[in-house]
Amino acid sequence: MYYRIIRNDMLKSKLITLTTMMFVAVAAMLVSLSAILVVNLSGSINMLMDQAKTPHFMQMHSGDIDAGRLADFAEQNSHVDEFQVLEFLNVDGARIVIDGNSLADSVQDNGFTTQSEKFDYLLDLDGNVITVSDGEIYIPVSYMKDGTGKVGDTISINGKTLTVAGFLRDSQMNSLLASSKRFLVSENDYAAIKGSGSMEYLIEFRLKDLSEIGAFETDYTSAELEANGPTITYPLFKMLNAISDGLMIAVLLLVSTLIVAITFMCIHFTLLAKIEDDYREIGVMKAIGLRVSDLKKIYLVKYAVIAAAGCMLGFALSFVFRDLLLENIRLYMGESEHASFAFLFGIVGILVVFLAIVAYVNNVLKRFRKISAAQAIRLGTSQGKAAGAKHFRLSRNRLLNTNIFLGVKDVLARKSLYATMLAVLIISTFIIIVPQNLYNTISSKSFITYMGIGSSDMRMDIQQTSHISEKAAEIVKAMERDSSISKYAVLTTKTFKAKAADGSEQGIKIELGDHSILPVQYSEGKAPVAEDEIALSTMNADDLGIKVGDVMTLVIEGKEKDFTVCGVYSDVTNGGKTAKAVFSDESADIMWCVIYAKLSDPSLAEAKTSEYADRFHFAKVSHIDEYVAQTFGSTISSVGKASDTSVAVALMITGLVILLFMKMLVAKDSYSIAVMKSVGFTDSDIAMQYVSRSVFVLMAGMILGTLLANTIGEVLAGAVISSFGAASFQFADHPLSMYPLLLMAGTVLIATMLGTWGAGQIKLAANMKE
Amino acid sequence: MMKIISCENIVKSFSAGNEKHPVLGGVSLEINEGEFISIMGPSGSGKTTLMYAVSGMDSIDSGTVLFDGRNLSALSEKELSDIRRTKMGFVFQQPTLLKNLNILDNIILPAMRDNRKNAARTTEKARALMKKAGIGELEKRDITEVSGGQLQRAGICRAVMSQPKIIFGDEPTGALNSTSAQKIMDMLSEINTEGTAVMLVTHDAKVAARTERIMFMCDGKIVSEMRFKKFNGTGMEDRIEAITAKMREIGI
Repeated sequence: MYYRIIRNDMLKSKLITLTTMMFVAVAAMLVSLSAILVVNLSGSINMLMDQAKTPHFMQMHSGDIDAGRLADFAEQNSHVDEFQVLEFLNVDGARIVIDGNSLADSVQDNGFTTQSEKFDYLLDLDGNVITVSDGEIYIPVSYMKDGTGKVGDTISINGKTLTVAGFLRDSQMNSLLASSKRFLVSENDYAAIKGSGSMEYLIEFRLKDLSEIGAFETDYTSAELEANGPTITYPLFKMLNAISDGLMIAVLLLVSTLIVAITFMCIHFTLLAKIEDDYREIGVMKAIGLRVSDLKKIYLVKYAVIAAAGCMLGFALSFVFRDLLLENIRLYMGESEHASFAFLFGIVGILVVFLAIVAYVNNVLKRFRKISAAQAIRLGTSQGKAAGAKHFRLSRNRLLNTNIFLGVKDVLARKSLYATMLAVLIISTFIIIVPQNLYNTISSKSFITYMGIGSSDMRMDIQQTSHISEKAAEIVKAMERDSSISKYAVLTTKTFKAKAADGSEQGIKIELGDHSILPVQYSEGKAPVAEDEIALSTMNADDLGIKVGDVMTLVIEGKEKDFTVCGVYSDVTNGGKTAKAVFSDESADIMWCVIYAKLSDPSLAEAKTSEYADRFHFAKVSHIDEYVAQTFGSTISSVGKASDTSVAVALMITGLVILLFMKMLVAKDSYSIAVMKSVGFTDSDIAMQYVSRSVFVLMAGMILGTLLANTIGEVLAGAVISSFGAASFQFADHPLSMYPLLLMAGTVLIATMLGTWGAGQIKLAANMKE
Repeated sequence: MMKIISCENIVKSFSAGNEKHPVLGGVSLEINEGEFISIMGPSGSGKTTLMYAVSGMDSIDSGTVLFDGRNLSALSEKELSDIRRTKMGFVFQQPTLLKNLNILDNIILPAMRDNRKNAARTTEKARALMKKAGIGELEKRDITEVSGGQLQRAGICRAVMSQPKIIFGDEPTGALNSTSAQKIMDMLSEINTEGTAVMLVTHDAKVAARTERIMFMCDGKIVSEMRFKKFNGTGMEDRIEAITAKMREIGI
């Protein structure tokens, strides 16, 4: 009997059943996709890092190296399991020519290395340790993705020609956020090209216990070993590998949570409407002695059927999309170690959605108990609250057109009914605005100033070379004479020792120069101006446990000197641990030097970049847009994709929900419509009333949604952004962000008109007769 | 005497599945300006359908309905709405007021659609009507806060706001006790004496007895008709007796 009742019921309300099922399907699909992706991503990263035996601690170093001393340190330190020093031959991009195109425009530090013997292996796309023959070369997988090279291409390095034999996965430097890229060549070929670039060393350790990494870091620093370059640890490698896809998953999870919420609201709304329709029947059934649980069962089974069908559909759909979303993870990191696990997690995700829906319906159905049989039979409706908004009276209305007044009044009088629609609109606005703003913010030019890069048009890096300060002076001289350069700043990075609270010493890289010319954003405080002021990157400040206003001690030329911390800023460059100060120092070696330049006419940036690149071969000159595109490009484009997707999803949800809502509303309102028509309101009057209701709710939804997006949304987006290392930021305003909201307004209007189409064409006689 | 409604040979049937059930089998009828008529007949005889047909509330299969000289079948939805709003008033068995609005707002609703600028005057007029109907103190009440008889009187106030040419009543006293019913009939009589035609559908001889022309329907046709003088408050029993006799005579 249940079967018949439920089937008839579904056939009678096909549109509502289908829409609800679709929402369940989409929610189930997204939840299961997120689960599958999370499991795959973490599995793939772990697998990659296991297979490659990624170092737990790595110190990059340029300059002379005392191998014996390092070996002794490794031998004596109780944390160390394995130790090795790898060579990394850094070759200027201009000298590497792949298939006729040089890598001169690449902002990556491209270098050559041989396969390691103990750990930190470079893997092929099947996850095997590559053995490379003479004459062959393996290039980073990201160059396959962006089409820089393909198998069979020839690469010439300073005249030596090699053939691309395949692509490699590098557990350290896969991510675009890692600024170096390793090419793999054979020992013999490596020896042949050794003179073509500058040597850098990767001093690598595997520890017995990964959790001891902090202690080991301190040991390494206090041993005053080679440290002329960034230090990177295992967790940071892991994070670098996870960022791009992790962001995508975060957005997916956010959207799926919202869709589940919307699904709940749709169920809530349709269920309540159905109960109201069936009110008299429920009363009769109660009166003739059917048990409440019997009644509940009918509704519950119906929704369980819808939820089950939707979940299965969603699971099937997730198969269609999963390969598309897994493509990137598979390419960069390979298969996950627990791929079958992912399948299981997908099913668990689906089950969670299913159970949540059933539990929710069960909860809503609790109100069955409260229905009084007598009242239900006599009145046929729940004793609704007397009309709200009592003081909003037609007789006092002088301002609004009567139809608009009636529309607005209806919304105010039946707030709980419109709450669903309002919530959907708020959520839609939210999921339109937040990813959009996030995208606009991270793709805006000023965003890099949140990331530790001064706002400028051109950036020149001088590193891995001798006589850095002379070379910088040479460039400065040229810039002085160049009228098209309006401002420039020379920032020289040197290493000093900082004393931590416990007296231990720690290496700290300090960028010296005038930081007020092309400033970065300070999340707290300001740029250093006085000789005894210093600004720290967030990571450094957190690490040293120092706040703005605190005093920190540096060791310069063997003497201790106190500095006041004047500001904290976010930085993603050079491992995120930097500092800025203005004092002059002749003692320490220059690690590198960066010259930022601002042009009087930014459109000249490209021309100037190549002009300076031609003139100063020793410097790596990059157009800042290009620098940003190459560093954050893939992240920005994934966020962009996610934002476009969420606009599309939001519009679809809005359209569907409003359509569904309006259809139900018209069905519910047939009596009022008949009354209106009997006293002479036209079809277009009635259409206007419905549009007014929609527009009223739409405006409220958009305003509230925008407010939420700019408060909670900004915090949420901030959390995402801080995962890149940017500590504080504000949404960049963008005129185009209004455009999707207009689309949403249009969607609401169209859905309202479609949903109320023919609302007036009801049989007056049938609806007025009691 | 000008005719407000004249219909000829109205045919209307309802379809259930593939079968057609004729409800009106060629009815012709005229109503003069200011006339007070009623239609009687057993359930299913087609009296309510006839009222919906002559008022343009429902479409007809064939025949013509002229309202004030205009063929209702030829009018657009908009024109029909305009006529309903300005020249007709409706009173139903159950009061048909909107739940969202209070009594006063319900009464001025149709008038406010066209004439928001004169809202003050409209409201004054509604208040005067309500006072006359004995519900003057109820204007701010919600419709769930007053009795059925009071609601019905509010419904009549709404119907006469536009000074219509005719008021249609479908069993307007059907759901009321005798005291309330009497008040409603007094109101309708008074409106009629001021010049508005009234057409009532009823199966209550006491209601029909207040009208001046009674048509008897059976199986979708008008089978008989009787006329009285305008009711002046006397001779009620005689009229009721005459009507019941007539009903017996034609077997309804």
